[in-house]
Amino acid sequence: MSAAADITQVPKPRAARNVAATLTGLCLVLACAAPFGLNGYGLYLLTLTEIFALVALGLNLLTGYAGQISLCHASLFGVGAYATAILTQKAGLPYLLALLLGALLTTAIGALAAIPALRLKNLYLAIATLGFGVVLQKIIFEWRGLTGGGGGLALAPTSIAGYELGATGLYYLTLAFMTIGLFGAWNVSRGRTGRALLVIKESEISAGSLGIHAPRYKVTVFAISAFYTAIAGGLFAYLVRYINPESFNVGLSISFLSMVVIGGLGTIGGSIVGAAFYVIVPELLRGIKDAPGLVFGLLLVVVMVFMPQGLWGMMRGLGRRFLR
Amino acid sequence: MTDLAIENVSVNFGGIHALRDVSFALESGSIVGLIGPNGAGKSTLLNCISGITRPTRGRVRLADTVLSTMSAASVARQGIGRVFQHPELVADRSVHDNLLIACHRSLHYGLVSELLRFPNVQRQERDAAAKVESVLARLGISDSADTMVRSLPYGHRKLIDLGRALLMDVSFLLLDEPIAGLNDSEIARLREILLQLREEFGLGILVVEHNMPFVSRLCDRLVVLDLGELIANGAPAAVLGDARVMSSYLGEAADA
Repeated sequence: MSAAADITQVPKPRAARNVAATLTGLCLVLACAAPFGLNGYGLYLLTLTEIFALVALGLNLLTGYAGQISLCHASLFGVGAYATAILTQKAGLPYLLALLLGALLTTAIGALAAIPALRLKNLYLAIATLGFGVVLQKIIFEWRGLTGGGGGLALAPTSIAGYELGATGLYYLTLAFMTIGLFGAWNVSRGRTGRALLVIKESEISAGSLGIHAPRYKVTVFAISAFYTAIAGGLFAYLVRYINPESFNVGLSISFLSMVVIGGLGTIGGSIVGAAFYVIVPELLRGIKDAPGLVFGLLLVVVMVFMPQGLWGMMRGLGRRFLR
Repeated sequence: MTDLAIENVSVNFGGIHALRDVSFALESGSIVGLIGPNGAGKSTLLNCISGITRPTRGRVRLADTVLSTMSAASVARQGIGRVFQHPELVADRSVHDNLLIACHRSLHYGLVSELLRFPNVQRQERDAAAKVESVLARLGISDSADTMVRSLPYGHRKLIDLGRALLMDVSFLLLDEPIAGLNDSEIARLREILLQLREEFGLGILVVEHNMPFVSRLCDRLVVLDLGELIANGAPAAVLGDARVMSSYLGEAADA
C-alpha cells in the first residue's frame, strides 16, 4: 500500500531535521550579525519583529495547537509591559527581575483567561476573551496612580548590571529571549503537552478517552502563552520607552492572531515568519504612494486564499519538493 | 480477576429512557458482544462506562472503584480503553505521532523539563517511541508509520484507534462497531489481534457490532439490548436462538 501515489509520506526525519537545524543556525548567525549592518530604524524594526515573534510563538501554541482563540493577548502584552515598567521604574527592581516577576503576574492573569475556555469554543470564546481584554485595558486606564492612566508612562533607559541597555543591547536581549522561546515552544510542540493540545483541538471526547484532562491543559496553554506574551511586553516597553493603554487595544490582538494565521497555524517556525511578514512587509510597501495599507490588506487575502497552511506551510512544501 | 460491573444502570435523556435498569458484568479475559437494533442504547451504554454520559441511576464499578462518577479522562486512567466507531485522529500528523499521543499517561516529566527538553524527557520519549513501534508491529502496519493519517484508508484509522487503546495499557477494551468499513482480510486480522490480546494480557473486551457471524464467532457471551432494556445475556448459540431476540431483530429488518 505504500506504493500508492496519493499516500503522503513525511520525508525522512533525519534529512529534514539536518536541513532545518542548518537553516536555523544560519538565521541565528545572521540575526547576531544584523546590528552591524542596520541603521537605527532597521534595528528597531528587527527588535519589534522578534518581540512580536515571541508573542506569536506563545499564541500559536494556544490557537494553532490547542485550537483556543484569544482576543485578549494585546491586553496581556500590555499587562506585561506595565508590570515590567512599574517594577523597574517605581519599585526600583533590576530590569531582568522585573521582567520575570511581571511575566509571572501576567501568567496568573492569563490562566484566569482560560476559565471561559473551559465552557466556550470558537467565536463564543473569542468574544469572552475580548471582554476579558477590555476589562484589563480598562483597569490599566483607570489605575492612574500606578499606571499614569490615559497619559501613559514614559520610561527612562534601563540598565542591566550597571550597563545601560541601549538599542543594540535590547536587540540582543530580545534575540536571546526569542531563541529560548523558540526552543521552548518547539520542545512543547514535540512533547506530551503539545500532543495533548493537538488532541484537544481535534476532539475533547477523544482526549478524554486517552486519559488527557482537557481543562487542565487549556489552563496550562493559556498560562504558557501569557508568559511568552508578557516577556514580549516587558521588552516592548523598553523598546518604545513610552506606553499608554491605547496601544494595547483589540486591534493589536487581531494583529497577533493574523501573524499566527499568516505564518501557519500549528507550526513553530511559522510564528516567526508571520511576525516578520507583519512588521517588515508594510515597511517595504512604504514606497507605494498613498496605498501601502491597501496593498498589505490585499496581500493578506492572497496569502490566505493561496496558502491555507500559511507561509510556513508553503515553505515546507517547497522544501520537501527540493529534498526529494 | 476483576470484573467491570454494570449495575442497574438507567439513563434518561429528557423524557426518553435510553437505558432502563441494565445490569451485567464483563469479566477480564472474556469477550462479550453487545448487540441490539439501532436505538437500543448500545452506544449510550458504552458512553456510560467510559464516563462520557452519567447514568441517571445505577453505577459502573471496576473492582471496588466506582467509575460512573468520574470524568472520561479519569475512567481512561483506570484502564478502560475506548475505540470509537468513527476514530477522531489528528489528520495532519503521522501514524507514529498519532500513536505517541496515547503514551501520554506513561510519560512522567513536568512542564519545565519539557520546555527545556532535559535528558529525562529524551529518555522517556525514546521509550515511548519504542512502545509505539511494537504496537505498530502487532497491528501489522509498521510500513505506514510515517504516513499522514489524512491519507489513510478508513480501516487503517480504526486500527490506529485500537493501537492507541493498547498503548494505554488498558485492562478492558470497549469497541464500537469495530468492523464497519473494514474489508475481509482486515476483519480477519482484527479478530486475530483481539484473540491474541485476550490470550496475552487477559483483556476483557466488550464489542458493539451488527455483524452477527463475526460477533457469534468471536464472543464468549452476548448481551442483547432492546429499547434500553437488557433482554438476553448468555452464550451466543442460546441467545441467537431466543425468540425475543429474534423478534427484536426481525422487527428491525421489517422496518428497514
